[in-house]
Amino acid sequence: MSNGFDVIIVGSGPGGVSSAFPLVQAGLQVLLVDGGREMALKSPVKTYLTSRGEDETQWHWMVGRDYHALHHVDAVSPKLRVPMLAPVFEGYSAANQIHASTFVAVGSLAQGGLSNAWGCGVARLSSEELRDYPFPASEIEPSYETVTRRMGVSGAVDDDLSDYFGLDGWTDPPIKMDTLHRRLWHAYGKNRSALSAFGVRMGRSRVAALEQDRGERHACDLSGNCLWGCHRRALYSATDDLEQLQRYPNFTYRSGFVVDRVVRSGEHPAVVGSDQSGTEAIKARKVVLAAGTLATTRLALQALQMAGPVAMQNCPTAAFLLWLPGALGIRREPAFGLGQLSFALALAPGVSGFGSLFNPTGIPLAEFVRYMPLGRRYAIDILKALMSSCVVGNVFLPGRYSTATLSMTHAGVLQVAGGYHPDVAPFMSLAERRLRSAFWKLGAVLLPKSFTIGHPGSDIHYASSLPMRSQPGPGQTNARGELYGLADVYVADGASLTSLSEKSHTLTIMANADRIGRGLLKDLSESQ
Amino acid sequence: MKVLVTGASGYIGNRLVLAARSRGYEVIAATRRPVSAVGDWIAFDLVATGAIELPAGTNAVFHLAADTTSRLIDSETEAASARRLIAAARQAGARFVFVSSQTALEHAPSAYGRTKWRIEQLVLAAGGTVIRPGQVYGGDERGLFGTLVRAMRALPFFPAFLPAPQIQPIHVDDLASALLHCVESDELTSAVFCVGEPEPVSFTRFLRLIAAERVGRFRLPIPVPVVLVRLLGLGIGRQLRAKLGFDRLGSLFDLRAMQTEADLRRLGITLRPMVSGLSRSGNDRRRMLIGEARAFLRYVLKERPTAILISRYVRCIERERGGQPLALSSFAHCFPVTLALLDRARPNVNLAQAEFVWRLNAAVVLAEATVQGARRFLAIGESSGLVTSIVQIARALTSELGWRVVRIIASPVLKSLMCDQGRPR
Repeated sequence: MSNGFDVIIVGSGPGGVSSAFPLVQAGLQVLLVDGGREMALKSPVKTYLTSRGEDETQWHWMVGRDYHALHHVDAVSPKLRVPMLAPVFEGYSAANQIHASTFVAVGSLAQGGLSNAWGCGVARLSSEELRDYPFPASEIEPSYETVTRRMGVSGAVDDDLSDYFGLDGWTDPPIKMDTLHRRLWHAYGKNRSALSAFGVRMGRSRVAALEQDRGERHACDLSGNCLWGCHRRALYSATDDLEQLQRYPNFTYRSGFVVDRVVRSGEHPAVVGSDQSGTEAIKARKVVLAAGTLATTRLALQALQMAGPVAMQNCPTAAFLLWLPGALGIRREPAFGLGQLSFALALAPGVSGFGSLFNPTGIPLAEFVRYMPLGRRYAIDILKALMSSCVVGNVFLPGRYSTATLSMTHAGVLQVAGGYHPDVAPFMSLAERRLRSAFWKLGAVLLPKSFTIGHPGSDIHYASSLPMRSQPGPGQTNARGELYGLADVYVADGASLTSLSEKSHTLTIMANADRIGRGLLKDLSESQ
Repeated sequence: MKVLVTGASGYIGNRLVLAARSRGYEVIAATRRPVSAVGDWIAFDLVATGAIELPAGTNAVFHLAADTTSRLIDSETEAASARRLIAAARQAGARFVFVSSQTALEHAPSAYGRTKWRIEQLVLAAGGTVIRPGQVYGGDERGLFGTLVRAMRALPFFPAFLPAPQIQPIHVDDLASALLHCVESDELTSAVFCVGEPEPVSFTRFLRLIAAERVGRFRLPIPVPVVLVRLLGLGIGRQLRAKLGFDRLGSLFDLRAMQTEADLRRLGITLRPMVSGLSRSGNDRRRMLIGEARAFLRYVLKERPTAILISRYVRCIERERGGQPLALSSFAHCFPVTLALLDRARPNVNLAQAEFVWRLNAAVVLAEATVQGARRFLAIGESSGLVTSIVQIARALTSELGWRVVRIIASPVLKSLMCDQGRPR
């Protein structure tokens, strides 16, 4: 071992840091490398509504002095237009040689990866959903607990989704709901049976956002700045974990080192990458890939000299606007900007959708104006009056309904092609009908024409391109996440999930990474 | 191409040098003293008598040097100088272009005009090209244009001569393009080309435009009968007349209209509008963009946008979209609410539709991210409530419907109403 590391982890996102903890805590020499981009702008300190009403420089964080939001006006998500989040998304495809044509390919070179800009939705896979995974559900359960407790999750309450999320034993109570969600929740309490006839079950959202202070992170104060950056750090980011890891002397963090190749040199694997000081190969006993599903898959296919294509899963998604006529004219209030209520929606035997409802106050109205079929002047008039009584919702379908593929070109570029299974359109239209009927029972109108299906990839739930199998073949991983055909190289991000359910998948990536870390630890101690 | 310019340090010469260099030409300045802005230089003085030798490989000579002010050089000296220059050009096989004057005439009232005529004959005899520009304006505040701008800046009034002399202005950069075209074209024959506005404008209007567009101030026109000026000129004697510029005024009063349309066409020159040419940049791109910003933002905000927001929009278009203004009509600029006729309309109007949509969306995004926008978009600091909201929504829907009806009725004239037809898109 020329460089003296036991394990090299590529990527400091949720997968990377989660795989690091068991190794570092056991005293192994761990090197973690990442793209190293850091946030340059500060999050707003005052509440969103106060800043909007007072801050003369609000365009700095809303549009950006370099007109970031307008430069990226065609990007699929408002997140991709937020100036502060620019370092999170910038340069990923170029640095990792990813080319996407029919797919929205998003990834991150930032410290903490995509967790800097996530929706904080968390859920545990049921034993049913884990059935195709090549290990018993009991094997990942301790990891779910460890990771959930470390992140800080809120939303525990006895409701119709308690079992669906399966996290309540380890989580804090929910963050306070705003008036609109309280009304919906109240109406749901009275109409549960009517909604179950439409296949809809509702509950509080379980989110990795703090309801109670935790060390240097503080509880949500309903500032409404979720999209713009929480200065209280109430929302979990992998950078929080990165800070914890850096306190261990046996943990080495090398920021700004982008890995280009994984090779085997002699009996050990090595990563070849570069930073400002040039190109370098670093050897270790084990390498863990957690560079994000797309980049990880590219590194794996390149090392295996596989052209592909390999299948990848992502969740077909749609968004909609829900209007509460009874609340028309209420004043906008400070509110938590991520999921407040969630729903599980049965669509067919064995097929269900999952979605959440959000307060839209913190999203620029311009994001809605552009979709209104009215002159902008009057669209603003209407939305100004209407949006204080609206919530936005999203819905996700299981990842097996995507037809995305990844393949390598001769030049070493990863080609991403996206697409949906033919069943997606009828399922989405069924989802729209059922949700419209269900919410109507709750006194809310799913606004006509607002139900919009997203482009393939816009969900940013990418997984299962190197799935774990009990009998893996080329382009797959074994139950411990080790890549078939490339010994001692493990995959600990979305790429190695065996399948992708409709649920938020980040927690499962993290739990699985933790599990892979533990397994790796066992492998290393056995070999010694 | 290698070109030699006499009078390269002058008002027109300076701009000609810049235009030639921007086309990648090698430029040699032929002046009394070296011109720092031009690399190559040879000495040239109207009063010198020795033979002139052009640098090897010179393709064209632009003769701009002239005694425009104090008439210290007599006509014969200036003509002799031109003769020597023509001889040098012929020897080098270079084309010869001479900048003459609208006042050039065999028996012109001014010595300036007579000298120009005399040299014209020499140039034409040698197969060269003569350009007679009208009133040259724009660019740096030099030459007669500079004198007029400075006077308009200094004085609260200006003379409105009666009857008003008619002039045919040409922007200094348009003149430079015309001059360069003379040496670039293989089809032009040796001839006199008259360049300037085809339709003469009154000198009074020209001065008023300088006040409005360049100086940015109101200036009071004081009527001054031409007869009075002439009488005064006769009274003060010949020397004082020349010194005080009465001679130049005299030539102004005696200007004869030029037929420029055909010549401009042959030279391939389209003159810029005077309001554009008089602005400091030489075109009104920025001003049009500011007008566009004001209109778009006002359409979005329903109130006057702040100056800082306007400049933010302008910088955004310059940075992200190349900075050219859209061809909106002045009607649309004056009544921003009528942009509702184009917003979400099918692209039947000849504006670059995708660009229009992009910019209107940019106006929404930029307007929203202000304190002013927070009021407009989020009702911060405004009353809300059920009734208010219903009224707001109903009014907006009615307005939208109303504009859709107007759009249908106005569809035959929509294009001429909302687009500036004259501007290149």
